[in-house]
Amino acid sequence: MQHELEVAGRTREVTVTRTGDGFAVTVDGHTWQVDAARIDGQTLSLLVDNVWRKSYDIIATPDPATKYLTVYVGATPVIVARNGRRRGRKESGASGAGPQRVFAPMPGKVVRILVKTGEAVRARQPLVVVEAMKMENELRAGRDGTITDIHAREGASVDAGALLIIIQ
Amino acid sequence: MKKILIANRGEIAVRIIRACREMDIAPVAVYSECDRTALHVRSADEAYPIGPSEPRDSYLRIERIVDAALKAGADAVHPGYGFLAENDAFAAAVRDAGLIFIGPSPEAIETMGSKTAARAAAKRAGVPVVPGTEDPIAPDVADAKIARIASSIGYPVLVKAVAGGGGKGMRTVTDPRELSNAVRAARSEAGAAFGDAAIYLERQLTRPRHIEVQLLGDAHGTVLPFVERECSIQRRHQKVVEETPSTAVSPALRQAMTSAAAAVASAVGYTNAGTIEFLLDQDGRFYFLEMNTRLQVEHPITEMVTGVDLVQWQIRIARGERLTLDPAALVTPRGHSIECRVYAEDPDNHFLPSPGRIVALRTPGGPGIRDDSGAAAGLDVPIFYDPMISKLVAWAEDRPRAIARMRRALGEYRVAGIKTTVPFFVWLLAQAEFVDGRFHTTYLDEVLQARNGRPFVEPSPEAEDIAVIAAAIHTVLSPPSTGPQNGASCAAGQWKSHARAEGLRSW
Repeated sequence: MQHELEVAGRTREVTVTRTGDGFAVTVDGHTWQVDAARIDGQTLSLLVDNVWRKSYDIIATPDPATKYLTVYVGATPVIVARNGRRRGRKESGASGAGPQRVFAPMPGKVVRILVKTGEAVRARQPLVVVEAMKMENELRAGRDGTITDIHAREGASVDAGALLIIIQ
Repeated sequence: MKKILIANRGEIAVRIIRACREMDIAPVAVYSECDRTALHVRSADEAYPIGPSEPRDSYLRIERIVDAALKAGADAVHPGYGFLAENDAFAAAVRDAGLIFIGPSPEAIETMGSKTAARAAAKRAGVPVVPGTEDPIAPDVADAKIARIASSIGYPVLVKAVAGGGGKGMRTVTDPRELSNAVRAARSEAGAAFGDAAIYLERQLTRPRHIEVQLLGDAHGTVLPFVERECSIQRRHQKVVEETPSTAVSPALRQAMTSAAAAVASAVGYTNAGTIEFLLDQDGRFYFLEMNTRLQVEHPITEMVTGVDLVQWQIRIARGERLTLDPAALVTPRGHSIECRVYAEDPDNHFLPSPGRIVALRTPGGPGIRDDSGAAAGLDVPIFYDPMISKLVAWAEDRPRAIARMRRALGEYRVAGIKTTVPFFVWLLAQAEFVDGRFHTTYLDEVLQARNGRPFVEPSPEAEDIAVIAAAIHTVLSPPSTGPQNGASCAAGQWKSHARAEGLRSW
C-alpha cells in the first residue's frame, strides 16, 4: 500500500507491507525491515534493520493546531504531513506578496493595539500586544506594508488563531 | 505543626507537599476552577476550591485562602513563590487568623519587598547598590519628568516595578525615545502582576553577571548564607538556567558576597528563607540588586550541592527551631548543580506560550537527576498561569560532568501535545560560551537575536526517515477506538479518515 508523506517540504513515497514478524517499509525506493511494537495509543518502539538493528523510541500525536502528525523520534519532533499538505512557517507572509494576516498565536487578551488603519509599518514593527500566561507578548509585522484591517479590540479575549490585523 | 495549607499550585505546591510528607505533616491544597485535576490537588491530603481560574479570583484572594486554612484546621500556611508569597498583607492576615506564616514577618516582607526601601536597607548595611532612583515613581508622574530622571542616571537604563520580581514589569531602554513606551509597558505589566504600578529606574551595568546568595534566618538571631547561585542565563530578564557554584566567583569573592548578604538580612531582622540578588560587574565588584523574601524557584540546585532541604528548614524555622547547620559546610559546595526551567513555550516561534493538553510525558531520571514538576500526561497547561511545567536539575562531581548529565537528561525528556523549551536547552548547553562559563545577563538575548529565529529543532535526515516510517506504521497499527481523548481528537479523526479512505488499515 503506497502513500505520500511530506517532511520538511519533501514528498516521500512510502510503502508498508506486513512481513512475518514485522513490516517491510520502502521509502523512496529504499526498504527497511522494521519490528514495531505499540506501547500505548501514541507510543511505538521501532527496531529498524539497516546496517545495525537500531532502536527508536517514538511518540506520534496529531497536532490539533496544524492537523499534522507530530512524530517524536526520541526527543526530536518531526512534523509529518499527508499527501501534499504543506507545512508553512507560522509567520504567515513573512516574505512574498499578498496580504499578511497576523493571528493570535495563543489564547490571551489583547492589551494594546499599537497601529491604526491606513498606517504604514515596517518589518518587525510591533503591532499588537497580547497578554497570555502573565506575560505581554508583542506581535510584530513580518514585512513592510500598510495596515488595512484591524480585527482586534483592546481588552478583548482572543482564541489561538484569531485574526487580529491585516497588512497589505 | 500537624497540618500545612499550601497557598500555591504547580511544581512548587508539589515540592512543598513532599517536604510535608517527609516530616509527617498533612499537606492541604487549594485550587482554582481549572486546577481541579492538577497534580498538587491529587497529591494532597485535602483540597479546597478558592474560585475561578483567573489568579486575582483565586490564588490571589487572601480571605478565601485564610478561610480554607481555618476550615481545614491547618496550623500554618506555606506561600511557595509568586502569587501571595511576597505580599505582606497576606502574611499579616495569616498571622491575624492565629496561624503561622512559613516565611519572614510581614514587616520584613514590606521593607524588602519595596525595591527602593530594600536598596536603602542595603546601603545602611554598608553594601553597595546599583545607581538609580531612591524613591518609587508613582503612576501619575509625567513622562517628561521620568525622562529627566533617566538622563541624570544615564542610559542604558532599566525600568523596574517597585513590587517586581521574576522579570515582570521590567524593561531595558537604550534609546531615550523608547522610554515612555517602556514605562507604559512596565506599569501595565506591574499593575497586572503585582497590583502595584509604581516603578523605579536603575542604571544598567555593562555585561554584569547575576549572582545570588541563599539565606536562612531563625527566630533566635542566626542568619546563615549559602554558596552562591549563578543566574546570568536570562531571556527577557527571566532566569532560564541556574547553576551553583558560579565559575566567576573565587573563594575570596564568595566570602565577601555571602558576608554582605548576611549583613543585609541581619540588618532587617530577617527570618526564614530569603535570597539576596547581586550584580557582579566585569571588574569583580558586586552591587546589591534586591532581596526575594521567599523560597526561590532555583532552590533545588543549592539543595543538591549542600545536602540541605530548604523547604524542611523553612518549616522547622517557622515552628521555632534553631538553625543547627554547620555554617562552613553551607559555603563549601559539594560538586556542581545546574537547573533548566522547562517552559510550555515554542522556542521556534519567538518563545510564545504553548498552552494545551500534555498527551504524553516521560521525565528523565537516573543518577544525579531531579525533575521537580507539576505536570502530568492528560493535564492541560492552563493559559492563566506561568507556563513553567518543570525544573530539570542535574548534579555531578564537577561542572563538565553536570553539563554532560543535563544533556543526557534533556535527551530522555518526552513531552508531546505542547511545545517546550527542551530543544532550546539542548542547543544552549552545546554553546562554547556556556560550556566555558563566559556569559552575562544579556548574553542569551544577544545570541538569540543573532540567530534571528533559526529553528532549534532541525531533524537529521535519519530522524526524518524514521519519522516517515513511524508515521506510516502508526497509521497501520492505530486501532479505531484509541487516540487522544481531547481537543486533538478532531485532528486525529481527520488523520484516521484519510487512512481509512486509502485503505491503509489492514484490519
